[in-house]
Amino acid sequence: MGAVLEFLSSEYVVHLAILVCMYLILAQGLNLTFGLGRLFNLAHVASFAIGAYTTALLSVETGAGFAKCVMASMLTCGLFAVLLGGISLRLTQDYFAIGTLAFSSVVSSLLINWKSVTRGVLGIPGIPRPELFGYDFYNNSNFLVLIFLVALIVQAGFYLLHRGAFGRALRGQAEYEDALQALGRDTGLVRNMSFLISSATAGLAGSFFAYYLNYIDPSSFSLTEMIFVLTIVVVGRPGSLWGVSAGTIFLVLLPEPLRFVEINSAYLGPARQLLQALILFGVVFFNRRTLFPPQREV
Amino acid sequence: MLTVADINVSFQKTKVLNGISFSVSAGETVGIIGPNGSGKTTFFNALSGFVHPSAGSLTLCGEDITGTSPDYRAKRGMGRVFQNFGIFKEMTLLENLLVALEARSSVLSCLLPWGGHNKENRVRAIEYLEEIQLASRAHQKAGSLSGGQMRLLEIVRVLATGADLLLLDEPTAGVSPRMKEEVALFIAKVQQMGKTVLVIEHDITFIQKFCKRIVVLESGAVVLDDTPERVCADERLQEVYFGKRAAG
Repeated sequence: MGAVLEFLSSEYVVHLAILVCMYLILAQGLNLTFGLGRLFNLAHVASFAIGAYTTALLSVETGAGFAKCVMASMLTCGLFAVLLGGISLRLTQDYFAIGTLAFSSVVSSLLINWKSVTRGVLGIPGIPRPELFGYDFYNNSNFLVLIFLVALIVQAGFYLLHRGAFGRALRGQAEYEDALQALGRDTGLVRNMSFLISSATAGLAGSFFAYYLNYIDPSSFSLTEMIFVLTIVVVGRPGSLWGVSAGTIFLVLLPEPLRFVEINSAYLGPARQLLQALILFGVVFFNRRTLFPPQREV
Repeated sequence: MLTVADINVSFQKTKVLNGISFSVSAGETVGIIGPNGSGKTTFFNALSGFVHPSAGSLTLCGEDITGTSPDYRAKRGMGRVFQNFGIFKEMTLLENLLVALEARSSVLSCLLPWGGHNKENRVRAIEYLEEIQLASRAHQKAGSLSGGQMRLLEIVRVLATGADLLLLDEPTAGVSPRMKEEVALFIAKVQQMGKTVLVIEHDITFIQKFCKRIVVLESGAVVLDDTPERVCADERLQEVYFGKRAAG
């Protein structure tokens, strides 16, 4: 019993729990637009990056506190969503995905090349751990408590959104946009709002990511990361709040047993990605008839 | 209630609606018939805002609504039932009604935690379902209903939006003969509520049950606009459906 408790409170388990909470926030954001709204948003990790860089720059350059940094990250990502949504949401389905992917590439490119602000590939080091109401979150156990509470609030918020009028409107928009519009609902506004909430949530996750690692660089926000978050939502079942929660736990922890397998460390990273890719392919293959239901039209 | 003045709709170089003009008074029920490709559904699309006319104007209750969006028209009291079932099959019957009842509230108010827990809306939704004898299936997926039940749900959902003008696009398409009777009875009930109804239908016998006026479309233009008896007796109807030789 004592050994189990010791293991559960070890740095390794705390680290994994923090990752689960962080990815839960990130994945639930994507689950709103892609899962519930069936908007194939490939710019989610771009929002995650913007959130992380906003927090990193504000805390390192200006010494801004935790609340200010988090709010600024969410607000910046919200503005990004308004800009991106204004353009991309005029596109439909496949074109929307390509549009958001293009935006994501622009953000990646800016992170690497706008060296005077982002320091390019060198990244931003020395991001201090947060402090709030006199409590510090310097050690990982305290940080876990903070991010767990935030993940819990996010989960509760999305639970209400999914069950409420907004969730219904978003689902209606996904299934038959014209029919929803004919009932009097401005579907463009519903889509934009979902995009804004989703992006702000990614910004929140990004902010915690920066605080947790104390260092960020553009390599953390690549297309591989986008595919990982997408895999979580697809495996958990798009639109399912609890499914995506379970999918997050499953996929974040899935590569961990590989650590204990005697394998050349050069192959470890690719082996993880291969495993995730196989899972994504398998789930898409077996759910190919239901995963992307065609939108009905008048 | 609704005035359509010289509406023209073209898709690329093809003219689909060719100067349609007519008006509908409040409380009137008008049937619209015509062969396939005569422009009936495009006409409804133009009325409900899914297609914008290249010329002409639309006036609803004295307000020019030409060029406005479908949701704006719905908020002004125009409801639409789609030919290919406009219900949300992945939602429950109750949710279908709730979406309609909530459609007029702002998106921001929908975000509030209590946005989806409005007890009054739920009570009203159940009352609407009772109207079509489907209250016992309130928590079932709408996709599990029969064609006729889906039609009834769609009509009652339009009523839930508070629409005064209902556009019914082939309400008996995909409906069994027994359920056709129920749909006809329900449309008659809608008439008694004082609603204005425009119905596209292929079955002229069905449409005669509740329409005192029938408009016949051919090649995107109004050919006949008269009482059902006169329309049926008019040889131009035979021409429209079977060609001139058959009429002769």
